[in-house]
Formats: sequence, structure tokens, C-alpha cells
Amino acid sequence: MVEAEVLVIGGGATGAGVARDAAMRGFSTVLVDRDDLAMGTTGRFHGLLHSGGRYAVKDPPSAAECMEENRALRRIAADAIEDTGGLFVSTPWDDPAYPDLFHSGCIEAGIPVEILSTAEILRREPRLNPRISGGFAVPDGAIDAWKTVWGCALSAKEYGATILNYHRITAVHRSDGVVTGATAVNAISGEEVAISAGFVVNASGVWAGDVANLAGCEGVTVLPGKGIMIAMSHRLVHTVVNRCKKPADGDILVPIRTVSVIGTTDTEADGPDDVAIPQDEIQLLLEEGEKLVPGFRRARALRVWAGSRPLVKDDKADDADTREMSRAFALIDHKERDGVEHFLTITGGKFTTFRKMAEVTVDRMCEHLGTARSCTTAEEALPDSGHHRFYWLGARLARREETLNDDQLICECELISRRRLESAMEQRHTQNLDDIRRTLRLAMGPCQGGFCIYRATGILHSVERLDYSAANSALLRFLQERWKGVRPILYGDQLRQARLDDWIFQGLLDVEHLT
Amino acid sequence: MTAAGPGRVYDALVVGVGTAGLVTALRLAKQGADVLVTAKGVGATHLTSGTVDVLGYTPERVVNPAAALPDFVRDHPEHPYARAGLQAVGDALDWIKLQLPDGALVGSLEANFLLPTAVGVPKPSALAPETMAPGDLRNGGRFTIVGLAGLKDFYPAYLADNLSRARLGQEDNGRVEARAVTISPPTGGVADVTPMGWARRFEDTEFRKTVIAELEPSLDGGAVGFPAVLGLDSARTVWQELNDALGVPVFEIPTLPPSVPGNRMARALRAALTRAGGRVVMGGRVIGVRGAGERLEEVVVDAAARPKTYRARDYVLATGGFASRGLEMDSYGMVREAAFDLPVTGMPPNAEARWADEYLAAHPAARVGIGVDDELRPLDSGHGVVYENVRVAGAALAGAEPWREKSGEGISLATGLRAAELILERRGG
Repeated sequence: MVEAEVLVIGGGATGAGVARDAAMRGFSTVLVDRDDLAMGTTGRFHGLLHSGGRYAVKDPPSAAECMEENRALRRIAADAIEDTGGLFVSTPWDDPAYPDLFHSGCIEAGIPVEILSTAEILRREPRLNPRISGGFAVPDGAIDAWKTVWGCALSAKEYGATILNYHRITAVHRSDGVVTGATAVNAISGEEVAISAGFVVNASGVWAGDVANLAGCEGVTVLPGKGIMIAMSHRLVHTVVNRCKKPADGDILVPIRTVSVIGTTDTEADGPDDVAIPQDEIQLLLEEGEKLVPGFRRARALRVWAGSRPLVKDDKADDADTREMSRAFALIDHKERDGVEHFLTITGGKFTTFRKMAEVTVDRMCEHLGTARSCTTAEEALPDSGHHRFYWLGARLARREETLNDDQLICECELISRRRLESAMEQRHTQNLDDIRRTLRLAMGPCQGGFCIYRATGILHSVERLDYSAANSALLRFLQERWKGVRPILYGDQLRQARLDDWIFQGLLDVEHLT
Repeated sequence: MTAAGPGRVYDALVVGVGTAGLVTALRLAKQGADVLVTAKGVGATHLTSGTVDVLGYTPERVVNPAAALPDFVRDHPEHPYARAGLQAVGDALDWIKLQLPDGALVGSLEANFLLPTAVGVPKPSALAPETMAPGDLRNGGRFTIVGLAGLKDFYPAYLADNLSRARLGQEDNGRVEARAVTISPPTGGVADVTPMGWARRFEDTEFRKTVIAELEPSLDGGAVGFPAVLGLDSARTVWQELNDALGVPVFEIPTLPPSVPGNRMARALRAALTRAGGRVVMGGRVIGVRGAGERLEEVVVDAAARPKTYRARDYVLATGGFASRGLEMDSYGMVREAAFDLPVTGMPPNAEARWADEYLAAHPAARVGIGVDDELRPLDSGHGVVYENVRVAGAALAGAEPWREKSGEGISLATGLRAAELILERRGG
């Protein structure tokens, strides 16, 4: 039995943000997620810290909100942010009337915008298409979703919260129209956990309708708008590059950590768990990438994934075109909507505004509970960001050079040392190498674990004292998960890499005959 | 050494310096042919484990490759073994043993060893270096697996844990008992020593003494398995000395590439080729060919200073598959053979059908390659011979999944040797 004042369901950015906010306001808080934290939509976006430029023309209030939250996240989550800056550039395929609208939209929304000549843009980003005709600089950035979410979770923990990842909610308890808690099942052990809570926040994103149903609040419809993204090896650009046009498929390239992510597409998903990757969407992204960076098709694609934006159903928009629906978030007060007390659903929105969404949610909760406690999440930095220094690309190399002779390099692509890996394993206390992947970016580089995953398995076997079958499962499961993300983009040098990896895992290690 | 003058015509030009290319060139050179090998990279032999895997799984584990091969080629008529013929497989194994010092490579086509991999799976191999053979698990036994602190490519506890539970099949006797020991011989203050770095250290007598001294107290009479880093050029000496000093059978277990035993094999083949008078020109990519009717007339190589044209009576393409960039696939899914632009066969037209959902399943696109006739000559889509004086050997050939079958070295040896024999037959006849 777990007792808390607040139960937050869903460990994406929104849920982790709500848990942190509630804990900082002095509520005893439990955060649960059916998987690891940030494995749904949050961990499946391109990593853009919005300046708001993408909404400057169509939705100025959203744009202004993005800019405000962009500033807040820079204050509190510096370690997760790379201050890349952003460009909006006009290619020959883009509407020549749009730049003027864009410029005035930015000014209206309060987004700092600078007009740049073609020469200046090409000076900053020499790989961009020389046929672009001018553009703008805005304060976009790159933000690491996993670092941010875990930062929020650890901050919440410091304020006394409990984090229950890998716990699936199977029932939401109600008594006389008041929500009183939930039942969760540990996804690894199968053990059932009863959670008693005075207030429940449903922050389960594209799954929000399912969780609301568990509380007897029918009809909350969240349309999953699916988009695919491809991580390209290396930094094709060092600045976020957007096409200066009405937002569309494949119009943004985000340099994040050691890769560049091109995004995205937009189709109505076949349910919240649909992460299938259609070949035609890959071809579409490659075509669009080629327009921004000539030679894009010959660059190396490392991995592809799909994520779904939670779009709350709105009768005013056409269901078939989810991109036209509002990206602003929805806070559903179930007392007003369903007469169910102490239960809120917060969904929609975008990563950049998660902190604001959390603040609004916890404000509303305080109203319901008849208490006034002010929010401090926009000022207090996350645990690893107290130094207020932005992440920079050379950070890991600098750290590596300090320990060159006294620590082993386990993941050469992402510069992860053995001590760092062992300490992450001890902290995460997991049998799942994918959890470590997200924590450290283990195996996210060009070889996609070809070399480091054998090593990581051997190390995990020893750190977690696994028996042979648990260690073998960790290895095989990792290889299968990896396959999902590389299978659709096997061509060029990445196919070459995949063949080498096949040779290592099957030809040399014979992993397919592990027992 | 004379440069290729404009008028020079080689007996054979081999493109590719991996196992297949080296074997072809060595066989030809030993028969007195004037052979030139040209290669863009260094070949993939240094990635291999040092064993000669001929047929390990069909997908059932193969006990006797010689007995299993007839059915295997009947079921896989497009497989390189079917193209080269089974005689070539046996001949290749006999031949490769003779190219190395007596007894350096042991075993036969009639029985697969079961040798531990670095994760502790018993893997079937037809031939093994003498330094690995005592690790054979077929009769069970007691094993001590030795790790080296400072070698990140070997995890003895994990390996031993799996080895103790290895399924050896009904035909095998005895149980495997395995345990792990990790020693910390001096590395000169370096935490991260590569396998090649360890190999160099093991060639030092004083270093070996510290290893022996540290290891001796923890031995229990069982055979001792080291990671395969026991010396590069003097592996036999290092291995024999450890055997003598420890008083128990010592063996090596191959691990991640670049592989020390793979390097030994690559160096041995290169040295033999040089001794036989073959020439290797590295760093040149084939950028064009000129054919006349059914014959390939010349090959243009992008050499350091300027393109260079080579002419030969016979040509052998041994450039490897996708891993070696002998085959390339672009983002539209178009596959081409990189050197001679030969037709490629086996690519499923539908992108969704290329790769199975399960990583460890058989993948249709994995069998893509050059289709050949019984004389290893490249075929076009109408099954006509493209060039009658070109042979294809090794991983560029269509019809195999070597890493799944455990057939990589066998294919390179059998087709490489067969290509050479076919050229010699034609010269003689």
C-alpha cells in the first residue's frame, strides 16, 4: 500500500512536471508510468526547444507561450539544453509571401527575430542548400527529453516524491464520486500495488482517454497524430533549421547531441500504441531533407522512430487533418465535466510548454483542495542544472580526456566510460539495457551498439549479479528493439554497419543460440 | 618490383584483399601465374575469429559438415557452395591447412568442433587454430575462463555462466563445468588496452611470467581459456609456453573485432602471397571497366596520383558484400555491385519484404549478391554469362547468410580456391 496526497499517472514530460510541481508545493506525491519514464511521446520527439517561431503565423498566443517557456527552461534545465539557436530559411519550394508574415508574427509574439542574408546563413551553416533565399534567426534550441524528465523526477524525489516506473494502472478507485487512488501492477514482477491518494492527475498523454475511462469519465478523446523522425549520423547542421513556410512534413532539422534529427510527418495513428513506420514517409523525409541539405540521401541514417502527438478532440476542427487542430494543451476538470471530484486530466501541448502545463494543473488542484501554494518550478533549477551552463557538444570529450588513462571507454560512439556506465546501472537498478540507453545515450551512435552492447551485457551481468538467462534476455531484447528502429532505414553506410553488427553478434558470438 | 607498364597483361587481376581474394591470388601465384591484387580497403579477414566455419546450422546444429552439405546444397541451389561444388569445399580445407605452419590449423570437414564464443555459446567450426582447439566442448570438461582487468572485450563471468549451461546435444558426452577468474597483469598504467595491445604484451616473456604467477594459485586442473590475445606473430610460442608453465590445456576464445587471430590469418596469407611472388596494390578503388563482347578487357583503378589502367587475361571479383562495400544499396533501395557494376540478384522489390520483423530471423535481402554459373562467372537476369573471363568469389556472391549459417570462411575459401582452379584449368587446357 502506497499512500500519497497526489497520484500522477504518466511519466512523460507533463506528468514528471506535475509531480515535481506538486512535490515542490509540499504535496506528498507518487508518479507512475507503465513503462520507463519518457518512453511515450516525450521520448519520441525531435528534441526541439521551441522559440515559438513555428506557430508565429498561425497561432501567435501559442508562439508567445513557447517563448516564455523557452526562457523558463533555459533557467531551470541548462544541462539538458544546447543553445543551438534556430534558423527559418526559404528554399525555392517555399511560399515567397510567408517570410513577411513570419517576421511580423514573431514580433507580435515577442520572439526575438533577426533578419539574415543568404550569405550570412550559409556562413553559419555551410551545408544548407545554396539556393535558399534569406531567412531569420530565432532562439530555438535543442533539449534532451530524457535528461529533462529524469531531472524533474529526481527533483520531485528530492522533495519527497516516489517514482514508480514500470507500473501499469489497472484501476482508478472512486468513492461517492470522489477519486481516492488507483491500483497499479508492477510490469516486471507482476506484483499488485494499491495506491491511496487524495487527488489524481491523469497526465497519460495519448493514453489519457483510457485512464479517464478507468475513473468512469467516458468520452475523453485524444487523437494520436503520428509523426516519424529520422536520426542522421553526425551534425549536418549546428543550428536548428526550419523551413520558412506553413508547418508541413519534413520541414525541420534539429541538431541534438551527436546526431541531427529530421522531422516529421503527420498521420492519424491507429491507436496510441501504433508506432509503425511507413516506407513512403521515410522517402518523404529524405526528399525534404535533400531540399535543406543537398546530399542528405547519401548521409547516414541511424535510426527511425514514430511518436504520437496527443491532440484533444475538438469538434471545430476536421478530424482528418490533425495538424490543423490546436497544439495548445487541454486541462479537463472532471468535476465540471463529469461530476467526479479530485481528478484532473492534462494532455495535449508540446514538450516546450510542459512546465507551464504542470503549473496550471497544480494551480487547479490547489483550488479544488482549498489551499493556496505558489509555484516555484520556473525559478529553481533541476538537480544537474544548478550551474546554469548549457550542454555543449564537446562536454563528453572534455570529460573523457580527463580520465583517458584510468577508465575504459565502453561506448566509443557516445564516449561513455566504464565507471559512468556502472554508476548508471547501479542508480537505475534495471535489467533492461534500453533504460541505460536512454539514460546515457549508450549505443545511440553510428554503430548502434555493435560494440558496446556486448560489453554492457557483460558489465550488467556483474553489476546487477544477473544469472545467465537474465543477462541473455537483456542482450537479445536490446538487439530486437534496435532492429525495429534500424530495419526501415537500412541502406548506404548504415546497411554496411548493420552487416558488420550481424557478423559480430551472429557470426562471432552466435547470440541466436543463447539459452 | 616493376610497375605495371602500359603494355603489361597480367595472368590474373584479383580485386579485393579479404580471405577470398588472398586465397585466389595465392593459389594462382603458387602455380607461377603473374597475379596482381588490387584493393580499396584491408579486407575483412581481421574481423574473423580465426576459425574456419563451413556449415554450423541448417538451421539445426551441424555435427558433420561433410555429411550435411549434400542435402544443404540440394535445398539451396543458389548457395555459393552449390555453385562452387562440394569437392571445392573439401579441397579448400585441405589446401588452407597446407598454407600455414604444420598443425597450426586443425580439424576436418567430417566433424565440427564446438568452441565457446565470447558469450559462452558452443559454436560449430570445422577447422580451428591449434590455440583454440583445446576449448572444444564436445566431450564436456572443466574449464577456467580467464579475464584480464583492462580488457573490455571479454567478460569471463558471463561467459562461464552460459558455458555451464551450454546445450551440447545428444551426441555429446559429459557436462561442462566453467568458472571465471580475472587477473590484473601490469599494463603500464593504462586502463583500456586493446586486444592487439594485449597480444603485443603477451609476446613479452617477462609479461607472461607475471600472468603465470598470478594465475597459477587459482587453477583447479581444468583447461584454461584466455581471450584470443595470446600473441600476434609468435602465438604458437606464447601458447605452448603457457601450456607448459600452467600444466593444463590452454586455449583461446575469440572476441570482438579487430580480432587477433583474424589478424594472424590475414598476415599469414599476405606473407604467403608475397613469398609466392604475388603483388598487392592497396588503396585503389575500381572506378571503371572496359569490356569487349563477353570479355572484360581492362580495369581502371583510382590510384594515389592518377587513374591507372590494368589489363589481365582473367579477373576475379572478391570485393565482399555490403559489409565491405562490395555491394552498395542507396536510399531508394537500388543495389549495385561497386567495382565492375555486375548485375545483382535476389533483392525483393517491395521494401517491406526485404527484412523480417525479427532480428534473428532469416532476411530475404541478406541473400542479395552476384549470381554466378558453375564456373563462378557472373550472370545477368536472363542467366547469360556477363563476362566469360570474370569469376566471383567470397561474400559478394548471392544466396548465403554466412553469419547465420556459420559459413563465412568456408564460402570464401571454397569459392576463392575454385576460382583459381578454374583459371588454371583454362590456362592449362
